[in-house]
Amino acid sequence: MTNKLNTILFFSLLFGIPLLYFVMPKQKISIGEKRKLAVVPELNYESYIKGAWADSMDSYVDDHFPFRTSMIDMAVEFQSWKGIHLKEQEKVFVSQKPKVNKIKNEKDSTGSEINFLDEFEQAYSGSMLIINGSVYPMGGGSPAMSRHFSKMVSEYAEQLKGECRVFSAVAPLSSAFIPVEKYKQYNAQNKKTLKAIGSSLSNGAIFCDVFEEMNKHACEKMYFSTDHHWKPIGAYYAYVAFCNAAGFEAIPINKMEKRTKYNFLGSLYQHTLDPSVKNNPDTMEYYIPKVTTTAVRYTAYGYDKQSKSQVFAHGSSGGNTYSTFISGDAPMMRINTNVKNGKKAIVIKNSYGNAFIVYLISHYEEIWVVDFRYSKQNIIETIRKNKINDMIFALGMYGAMSKGTINMMRNLGKQSGIYVPPKPVITEPQDSITTDPAVLPTDTTTTN
Amino acid sequence: MVFSSLTFIYLFLPLSLIFHYVTSNNLFRNLTLTIFSLVFYAWAEPMWIFLMIFTAMFDYSMALLVERWRGYIGSKIAVTFSVIVNIALLISYKYGGFIHDNLSYLFPLPFDRPTNSLPVGISFYTFMVISYIVDVYKGELKAQKNPLNFLMFISLFQHLVAGPIVRYKHIADQVDSRTVNWQTLSEGVSRFCLGLFKKVVIANVAGVLVKKYLDVGFNDLSSYEAWFGITMFSIQLYFDFSGYSDMAIGLAKLFGFHFDENFRHPYAAISVGDFYRRWHISLGKFFRDYVYIPLGGNRSNQLRNIMIVWLLTGIWHGASWNFALWGFYFGCLMIIEKTFEKVLAKTPRILRHTYTLILIVFSRAIFYFTNFEMLKLFVANLFSSDNPIGVGFATDLMEHVFWFVLVILFCIPWDEIYTKETKVALGAERFYEKAKPILNVAMLFLATLLLVNSTYNPFLYTRF
Repeated sequence: MTNKLNTILFFSLLFGIPLLYFVMPKQKISIGEKRKLAVVPELNYESYIKGAWADSMDSYVDDHFPFRTSMIDMAVEFQSWKGIHLKEQEKVFVSQKPKVNKIKNEKDSTGSEINFLDEFEQAYSGSMLIINGSVYPMGGGSPAMSRHFSKMVSEYAEQLKGECRVFSAVAPLSSAFIPVEKYKQYNAQNKKTLKAIGSSLSNGAIFCDVFEEMNKHACEKMYFSTDHHWKPIGAYYAYVAFCNAAGFEAIPINKMEKRTKYNFLGSLYQHTLDPSVKNNPDTMEYYIPKVTTTAVRYTAYGYDKQSKSQVFAHGSSGGNTYSTFISGDAPMMRINTNVKNGKKAIVIKNSYGNAFIVYLISHYEEIWVVDFRYSKQNIIETIRKNKINDMIFALGMYGAMSKGTINMMRNLGKQSGIYVPPKPVITEPQDSITTDPAVLPTDTTTTN
Repeated sequence: MVFSSLTFIYLFLPLSLIFHYVTSNNLFRNLTLTIFSLVFYAWAEPMWIFLMIFTAMFDYSMALLVERWRGYIGSKIAVTFSVIVNIALLISYKYGGFIHDNLSYLFPLPFDRPTNSLPVGISFYTFMVISYIVDVYKGELKAQKNPLNFLMFISLFQHLVAGPIVRYKHIADQVDSRTVNWQTLSEGVSRFCLGLFKKVVIANVAGVLVKKYLDVGFNDLSSYEAWFGITMFSIQLYFDFSGYSDMAIGLAKLFGFHFDENFRHPYAAISVGDFYRRWHISLGKFFRDYVYIPLGGNRSNQLRNIMIVWLLTGIWHGASWNFALWGFYFGCLMIIEKTFEKVLAKTPRILRHTYTLILIVFSRAIFYFTNFEMLKLFVANLFSSDNPIGVGFATDLMEHVFWFVLVILFCIPWDEIYTKETKVALGAERFYEKAKPILNVAMLFLATLLLVNSTYNPFLYTRF
């Protein structure tokens, strides 16, 4: 009797789950993993012979397993049963490089190259420290690597001599400020790397000593515990460093409006799925300069397609909390302010720059924001046509330490993006964009 | 395709079972099983399927010739030719690059290094066809007349990728006709679930620790961590391989085949020799029957024969010198044990067990590091490391403490401690008989959870 029951129960699962596969609706994206789920791969001779079709078919089965998200949650819980979890603990998390499907059935909607993403993900894959629920990516480049970045920035300074000042404002990694004595070597490593950028800049390029300014506040919590970005307060100290270098007077933080968002579990939690990180969600306090702004964002290739945006997207929450700043990443954005001083800036950035840019609205009438990972515009043309005064490279250290991303920044000055003057009519945001969690409601905002 | 994948468990296996049991006609069952086995093989290796079919058909034909020419010299020529061709195929596809690398050190070679990938399962099916043709030659079994049946035997997905090395004579009758009942199905279910659990819940978890301690920072390890890392690799290797063998045996039962056991609690061994009577039994028996005994066994040149067998065993595991060194290491240990047999017999059991475990765990380092420079550094760390204990070692121990208990429980040979007649064994058996449906579903469910979790593939930057 138990033999029968044993067999029938097993077969029920074995045949029942495939039935659910066919019955249940298929998701297209996984918000938590920030990726598209696999689609049924196209079968052709080449993909079959190379084994790519089978790999993609496996990915399809894996990605659409019934109740996948709930099962992953249960698995994380089950994994924690392996032993005892202490409240205060240090450990090393070894992350895997994310898998990229070998067969691409759809082209990237912007048509842009996305190899840099692989390179970036590679930088974050490897060992991370988890200390009492806070995740710290380790490593952090070297002086030798930083010289490549300095060379690129100096090339721009040479090209724009007499037209536009060029600034370098690179953020250290969170590991520079681990509040545990034995990890001080990461502080020294970050310092050495970032100082090397400053010492090898030439042609009048200006170095913003972000590290030194942040180091004065090393005892403060300047980075998220669960996300790979800095907190607004960390970005504020970078802004102070920029003001010192640019000859501006930084607006004191207590002169800005303070708001708070709670329960932010960011990218590093999604990466590690570690229970101690889950139990340590971030609170984000952010600061709003008293400036009125309007903003529009553009697509990768042109100025003809534009949509409204905003400097602060107060509605963003949950995993997208960091998208509060400049409404997340876009290829290019233009911010106009009520600071009628005629000054214009262009910020070349990755997502680290987002939290930094919001402080610049106190000092410029117009700010152009270019995400070097997505934009196909020629920024030299943009700078000259718009008579921009300051060019600021504001990014995280990994972006400045990879030849691939440095070349992307270099290419911004060479690529054949066609300059088309902005059209006066502003269209409503397209539906297709709103599927991206980084893109948020786009009403013009006034921050007082 | 591997057994421990969602595609296999929830797509391939249900479909193959449905097609297999749709009729009771044995010819149809063999045909569907062959087709599914070829699909299984081609899933990962579409290129090499023809090599496997060629091998099967070649040995099928040679066996018929061996049988037809029995009593004549032709029979010997046919078996010799068959063995040479099979070994030549194995050498060229598995060891071609290795041989090229070594010869090119000595003198320039007029041809490029072969760049082919290793055909999956070639080490296993080559030994299966050799044992088949030799057994036919020795008159221990009749050659299979139906090419489909022989192709099915060679390509059976249950043993194709990672064994066990099944001898045709052991399942010859099942190839021609199989019966299944609730009991064999239930045994198959239980064995498959156990194997899957061992692979996913134990071996894969050990694998994460192995990667952490032996891959990422193996050169910065303290001695404690180095021993921990290599112990984790010993656990991973055993549960991975024995889990796979359990699944193979279970799957075979689901289709009416009975495979012999391949593992018998090896970490309970009390000598190195004992260990290899419990570890990958089908491989050990193959070398014993087809190499050791033909060389003279223990009747002549025993020590030489032992060393030859172990060097071959080592190199069978991989085309790299570290595997040869690994084989040499065990050859030496076997010879030493043989020499001091009487002393060993008088040594307390606990000491024998401890010495065996230390030597086996140490041997895993030779197995793991294919690069001798890395092996040297790692071994130096094992015995004298100035490195402090790394961050997170204590946390790793704490976070796996219940899992370690589970591993130990699975390594203990309960059936040897409490033999069938004892009260404990009878009680445990009664409990297991009642609880097995729930236990198996629980093991399958937990393994599925972890397999689904392994598909978690997060990106820092949005990709949609």
